Amino acid sequence: MQTKYLDIFIKEAEEHLTSLQKGLLLLEKGTGDAALIHELLRNAHTLKGSARMLGIDGISAIAHRMEDLLKDIEEGRKPVGSTSVDLLLQGTDAISRMAVALAKGEESPVDVEKFIAAFDRGESTAEAVKEAGQPEEEVLGDTVRAKVKTLDSLVNFMGELIINKKRFEDKAATLKYLCQAGGDTLPAAQIREFQRGLEEDVLYLNYLIQELYGETMSLRMLPLRTITEGFRRLVRDLAKAQGKEIELEMSGEGIEVDRVLLEMLKPMFLHILTNAVDHGVESPAERQAKGKPAKGTVRVVARHEGSSVWIAIRDDGRGMDPGKIKEVAVRRGVISREEADLLTEEDALYLTLRPGFSTSEIVTDISGRGVGMDVVKKNAERVKGNILLKSEPGAFTEITLQLPLTLSVIEALMVTCGGETYAIPLSYVQETIKIRAEDIKTVGGKEAVSVRGLTTPLVSLARLLGLPEQKTFLEAGKIAAVVLKLRDHCLACMVDATLDSSEIVVKGLGGQLRSVKYIFGATILGDGNPALILNVPDIFAGAEGAETAGLRKVFEESRAASQRGSILVVDDSITTRTMERSILVAHGYRVEIAISGEDALEKVAGDRFDLVITDIEMPGINGFELTKKLRALDEYREVPVIVVSSLSRDEDKRRAIDAGAQAYIVKGSFDQGTLLDTVEAIIG
Amino acid sequence: MEEAKKAGYDIHSILHEMREEYWHGLAEVDEVQDEYLECVSFSLGGEIYAFESVCAAEIVRIPKLVKVPRVPEIIVGVFNLRGQITAAMDFRPFFGLPQPPLTSAGRIIVVRSEKFAMGILTEAVHGVEALSLGSFESVVKSLPGAQREYIRGQLHHGGRLIMLLDIVKLLSSPELVVGQ
Repeated sequence: MQTKYLDIFIKEAEEHLTSLQKGLLLLEKGTGDAALIHELLRNAHTLKGSARMLGIDGISAIAHRMEDLLKDIEEGRKPVGSTSVDLLLQGTDAISRMAVALAKGEESPVDVEKFIAAFDRGESTAEAVKEAGQPEEEVLGDTVRAKVKTLDSLVNFMGELIINKKRFEDKAATLKYLCQAGGDTLPAAQIREFQRGLEEDVLYLNYLIQELYGETMSLRMLPLRTITEGFRRLVRDLAKAQGKEIELEMSGEGIEVDRVLLEMLKPMFLHILTNAVDHGVESPAERQAKGKPAKGTVRVVARHEGSSVWIAIRDDGRGMDPGKIKEVAVRRGVISREEADLLTEEDALYLTLRPGFSTSEIVTDISGRGVGMDVVKKNAERVKGNILLKSEPGAFTEITLQLPLTLSVIEALMVTCGGETYAIPLSYVQETIKIRAEDIKTVGGKEAVSVRGLTTPLVSLARLLGLPEQKTFLEAGKIAAVVLKLRDHCLACMVDATLDSSEIVVKGLGGQLRSVKYIFGATILGDGNPALILNVPDIFAGAEGAETAGLRKVFEESRAASQRGSILVVDDSITTRTMERSILVAHGYRVEIAISGEDALEKVAGDRFDLVITDIEMPGINGFELTKKLRALDEYREVPVIVVSSLSRDEDKRRAIDAGAQAYIVKGSFDQGTLLDTVEAIIG
Repeated sequence: MEEAKKAGYDIHSILHEMREEYWHGLAEVDEVQDEYLECVSFSLGGEIYAFESVCAAEIVRIPKLVKVPRVPEIIVGVFNLRGQITAAMDFRPFFGLPQPPLTSAGRIIVVRSEKFAMGILTEAVHGVEALSLGSFESVVKSLPGAQREYIRGQLHHGGRLIMLLDIVKLLSSPELVVGQ
């Protein structure tokens, strides 16, 4: 078969499959009409025909069956129910998998005969389809699709720049001539003319740069749709697997955001959505009992506002209970009882963003990759975004992400401190103030100032960053400070001087400095030297670390994460334990190995581990018993246990929880990320 | 002698020159069979170090280095390498070497690995030359940890002792990377 035709077929098939998938979901929602069914019929029919043309009998046969079923539905012989839709979706998936395999030149993952037999009986076809491997992490890739028009205009601007450069060269020559010819007395008239010409050139250069900047930036922007495409299906399938009915509504998918941002946004999105399905929306029975419609709704609304993108994800589920959150936070040691009592209900919601907090008692497969909301928070901070939480128990939970449109250029306030220049993203700056020595109060041994009537903690940026402190400003009588704001908290930060604010180009610190505390990135100043951009959330965390006991704990925890804990891996399979060991060791954990439950019990007697990872099925005592036995030991009562097993039934998971395990990872879905995320979430 | 030289035929010196040339020629033949390594050599802590010049992307004067807070001592700061923020490393404390202040002779050697570019601070760069591996000796066992780990050995060249750095290994050292 000629690959040229195959390529064309695969592209065509993709279109039809997308259309099928979308249409089927509409059909299930009951919003489909005769026209929709007919459209689906046409999709299936075309797929069948094209596949037959190329002799791809498997795809042709499945498409044929789908076409038949759709015909029955169209003619009213079969009802439009979730069973038929399910079957059709399975057909769509099977064809899609086969097409992907074809494109890659791999063997078909679908046993067509078996599939058709199951399809005809109206049963699940899962057995006929080879388990999909760990879906490859979908990245937006290193390549960009650009409109030819955009490229042309870029080339055009480059040409203009070159011409402009020539004009500057001419100007340089003119100036040289003027200097030489004039001797000590420069001809004023000629200089004036020269100055006018130069001004014109600079203006034009300015214009060119602005246009070029706009065009290049637009190359980086992609619509939100790029990542949300599969979300409707995802929510539907997740909900279905849990016997829930949930509909995902989305608006504002056309909003364009920086591609880098999109990549960071996707895991956050997935996490929040799975959370909503998993823990937010109740089962149909529970909902009806509360007088809500049986079908739950998750609504995603994206919109522009200023230079930010706001994405609100709201489910009409059981909401978040501030009381319960406080209780869990106290139990987990995230805050003290006294601190909990002082927190308002709204503030209590934000406790869920702290590391080590997760309201769901066990890490499930479904909420799989990310483990807690702290992951979402971390990602949001990385892109200088904000998270807002709103909830009413029994009614709704709304998580709003506020993200910058682009990460490449930001408005920043420049300050000097310890002899260096730093940039502070303006979105975090409330105001700059001057403080006199008598303005400084001490509150609980810590310095604070009053800003607009609000007592605001005062910290020294130099001290925070470990720079030499300037003493001179005290003598001068006035201290410059920047008032930073993060959500509803403020912090006054002493600096040597505040300079202007300006637009800066954000650059990474390079591959070598991947994450540096207090620093978000760097920019290049007019003189060609770099200046570091401060990471404001880090500054808050660092400043709070010295404030109250409870917050200090959070600080210590994040520091402890850099010196990672020790883990005991228990597994009778050498492959599994070697794999787990190498993953963990590579990420800085100390790992001991036990080859059986008995071996593990011996090892824990002589050592103190921060975490135990165990298999279930092992010769001798199994993982459940091991977990129980560990729980019975004084020293291991609190030590977290992660079960990694090939048993995937809910019953096994239940048993693991009952035995006292904190997390359960199914080997089938086992990959580096899941294990690491889970371990990190539990012991940091 | 003086007169004879002016006359242009001092037979002794001519013979001496011929003999010299002959021996020199012999020595050259020997060296050609030898293995060469084209290296960039530079000063660190008063000693001379070198690594393969293919690994060096460029050599620049030391620009303004901006300190990065709370990173390991060897990362002295970052600088602007044609729009790319690049870290400048001072390996002298890492190798347990003295740190004489950097003068105007100081240079940064920019090396590139697959993942990043970094600048190595040196007291001076001596140039690129082919070093004969004939005099190569493996690393002295008594050297402290980091030195033994990243120094392949030493060789004699033009009357100087040159330490050969294992730059590839050094570049892939996890200690160079901050954060995950």
